[in-house]
Amino acid sequence: MSSVPSAQVLSRAVAALAAVATLAGCSAATTPASRRAGAGGATTAISFNAAQCGGHWRARPGAHTFLIKNDAGAAAEVNLINPADNAIYGLLEAIGPETTGTMAVDLGSGRYAFQCVIDDIDPFTGPTVQIPGHAKGTPGIVPVTDNDLLQPEKEYHAYVTIGLNQLTAQTKTLAADIKAGKLTAARAAWLTAHLSYERLGAAYGTFGDFDGEIDGRADGLPDGVRDPGFTGFYRVEYGLWHGQSARELTNPVDQLAGYVQSLRNAFPDMEIDLLDIGLRTHEILENAVQFQLSGNDDYGSGTTLATTAANIIGTRELLTILRPLLVTRYGGLPGVYVWLNRLTALLNAQHHPGGGWTPVTKLSTTAREQIDAAAGQALTELAPIAAITEPRRI
Amino acid sequence: MATAGETAGNSTPRGDADEVRIGGAGSGGSRRAFLGGGIGAGLLGVAAGGYAIGDARHQGHADPVPAVVTDAVTGRLPAVPFHGKYQAGILPGSSPATAVVSFDVTAGNRDELAGLLRTITERARFLTTGGVPEPVGIGAPPSDSGVLGPTVVPDGLMVTLGVGSSLFDDRFGLASRRPAKLAKMQPFPDDGLDPAQCDGDLSLQLSAGHSDAVLHGLRDIARHTRGGMQPRWRIDGFVSPPRPARTTPRNLLGFMDGIANPSTTSKEVLNQLIWVRSGGGEPAWTANGSYLVIRLIRMLVEFWDRVSVQEQENMIGRRRDTGFPLDANSEFAHPDYALDPTGATIPLTAHIRLANPRTPQTVSSRILRRGYNYDRGIDEVGDLDMGLVFTCYQQDIKRQFEAVQTRLIGEPLVDYISPFGGGYFFAVPGVVDGSDYFGRALLT
Repeated sequence: MSSVPSAQVLSRAVAALAAVATLAGCSAATTPASRRAGAGGATTAISFNAAQCGGHWRARPGAHTFLIKNDAGAAAEVNLINPADNAIYGLLEAIGPETTGTMAVDLGSGRYAFQCVIDDIDPFTGPTVQIPGHAKGTPGIVPVTDNDLLQPEKEYHAYVTIGLNQLTAQTKTLAADIKAGKLTAARAAWLTAHLSYERLGAAYGTFGDFDGEIDGRADGLPDGVRDPGFTGFYRVEYGLWHGQSARELTNPVDQLAGYVQSLRNAFPDMEIDLLDIGLRTHEILENAVQFQLSGNDDYGSGTTLATTAANIIGTRELLTILRPLLVTRYGGLPGVYVWLNRLTALLNAQHHPGGGWTPVTKLSTTAREQIDAAAGQALTELAPIAAITEPRRI
Repeated sequence: MATAGETAGNSTPRGDADEVRIGGAGSGGSRRAFLGGGIGAGLLGVAAGGYAIGDARHQGHADPVPAVVTDAVTGRLPAVPFHGKYQAGILPGSSPATAVVSFDVTAGNRDELAGLLRTITERARFLTTGGVPEPVGIGAPPSDSGVLGPTVVPDGLMVTLGVGSSLFDDRFGLASRRPAKLAKMQPFPDDGLDPAQCDGDLSLQLSAGHSDAVLHGLRDIARHTRGGMQPRWRIDGFVSPPRPARTTPRNLLGFMDGIANPSTTSKEVLNQLIWVRSGGGEPAWTANGSYLVIRLIRMLVEFWDRVSVQEQENMIGRRRDTGFPLDANSEFAHPDYALDPTGATIPLTAHIRLANPRTPQTVSSRILRRGYNYDRGIDEVGDLDMGLVFTCYQQDIKRQFEAVQTRLIGEPLVDYISPFGGGYFFAVPGVVDGSDYFGRALLT
């Protein structure tokens, strides 16, 4: 016989495959994942307008998809809430008029109601629906409001103000050392001042254009480290660790000191976006992984691990400030600290008695893997905080 | 090294070869018979075979394509049952897409290691089964990347876990449980190994019908195991469609690769060559596992392309266009070396002849080869960086892979290839049910 399978063999094979696939559907339903998958097919279509929000609906515990139609004639947001405490189980934002959105929720036993937030109308809540039994579902989270974030914003502002005062003095010391030709002292002063800046938790434009001027990297500049637009800490670092003279560094360090002074002067009037406070809890460390643990922002001092440690201090400050909002909303908070502590210890192990730090390029494979793993896990644990503390309109 | 040649086959009856063809690059439908029926075994056949059937048999045909085949082509291969005595990803033929990743464990102690292995198991169970990702409400970012759409489709995904010898150092108190034949991979004379692309505490291979399913799975597992392990090296691979149709897929030297392999349908052959049984110095927990050798082999394709086809064929021992052994007129014919003692037809140094001399003495050194092509950019002199992700399963690395590789030392082909990475691992026993996890017997 030839090595080509006969048509008969083939069709038998296909038939067998089809039969097996059918059986698999049954057997797979006994696993939790597939039970979810099966129940995910349970779909309820609801609608809302200015007079009613969701109407009467019924559901069993388990994964459920709501198709939510906007008949209100205006943009709207719909929340699935616990009417007792307003905890949100599911949220669908920006549903345009005459459009239908999808909300997937794992419904646990308990009381549910839809809440409609229609433009130009006071939010209102539809009928309460009871889901029977003792099933666990998607946990509800009591939404955080702008009001809840005013105090954290105040505290963060105060923290940055104190930090900027220190930074201003330290930058002056750095400038004085350079102008006096004391470059060894200047290298130490540079690190002190830079870490003060990194502890502030600046990330993604917290300080507007000041951040780029004070701590901008050479990436993205046409002439790189020789570009006249390369200013701030990294410009001074590059010179201090690449044999530039005090004279060559005088302008850059004066520029740096000037920008820091300007930021300090401007900061009292700068507002921190309330949304940013939660976002920064992971974004600071996201930046650290991308630019510090990678070694990208090492312009010669080999201190990007120190920078990461300073970034963690900034992250911890935000966590402390947000703690009253998080303790009741985020069960994973202890895990955040476990991994931040582990990461801090791993970083400190690379801080040598003389004050120096191991450059990332000199880390052993094991040390590097441990640090990267702890940073990655810390970020995973931090990630929900931004969602939880996003200010919601209710 | 065992690239294009064959390290197998002299006891494989022709009937097996035909069934292998149904399964595409691998071992196809008749595996069902071996695994003793049941839904689980059958689905292995679906996953291994469906894609290849669609490819080989139905392109250009006017007949309506059966639904199962359509699903294979559109990325909806059925789930390969995850639970079983053996890991599901060992016997099936090479999937169209794969990722081979080595990890170092960063878990701090044995409990954390157990937690890590449990997490890998849970994720693998979900990913290979498919379903709707858990809704998270407003309390977290989405639980799934969405790469496979709102419902995770299994697409024939198989997740295969191995442990490397470094896991048995003093970190987790496992020294006394090291599989008896697991050691660190040592370089062969023709190797150019890069330590950064060798070894590792764990090996994880994800294979599926398409790259998106592979990458979705890898991303999911990495996301859930950030603190417990860190990737050490990684390579992605693919299996080319058979060209022409109904032949064995080709490697990037242009030769058919994987024509001969031990039968995966004979329980006897598997017990002699592939599965580890406890006893004989092996710790009890290793039963139903298998040793895995991974070799990352660069092919110097520019150099190869400047060599005459006659010389290429003499190095391999097969015709490039048909895959026939140089002494025969069909792809699956067994070369008859006894009739050619001086190498007049198939040179004594031909790859297939050294890899598998087909003598009674070399029967026990056969391995189950699963090769994948890789392609990853260019090197420092502008040559294309492509080659082979060679993997093979066996009962005893020294008796099998190393014996084959030792016979290949100095073969003419070594000038055109450069093994640069990989490692030795032990693919742990299968996860038998919902309460079991990878490596449970190792840790308890």
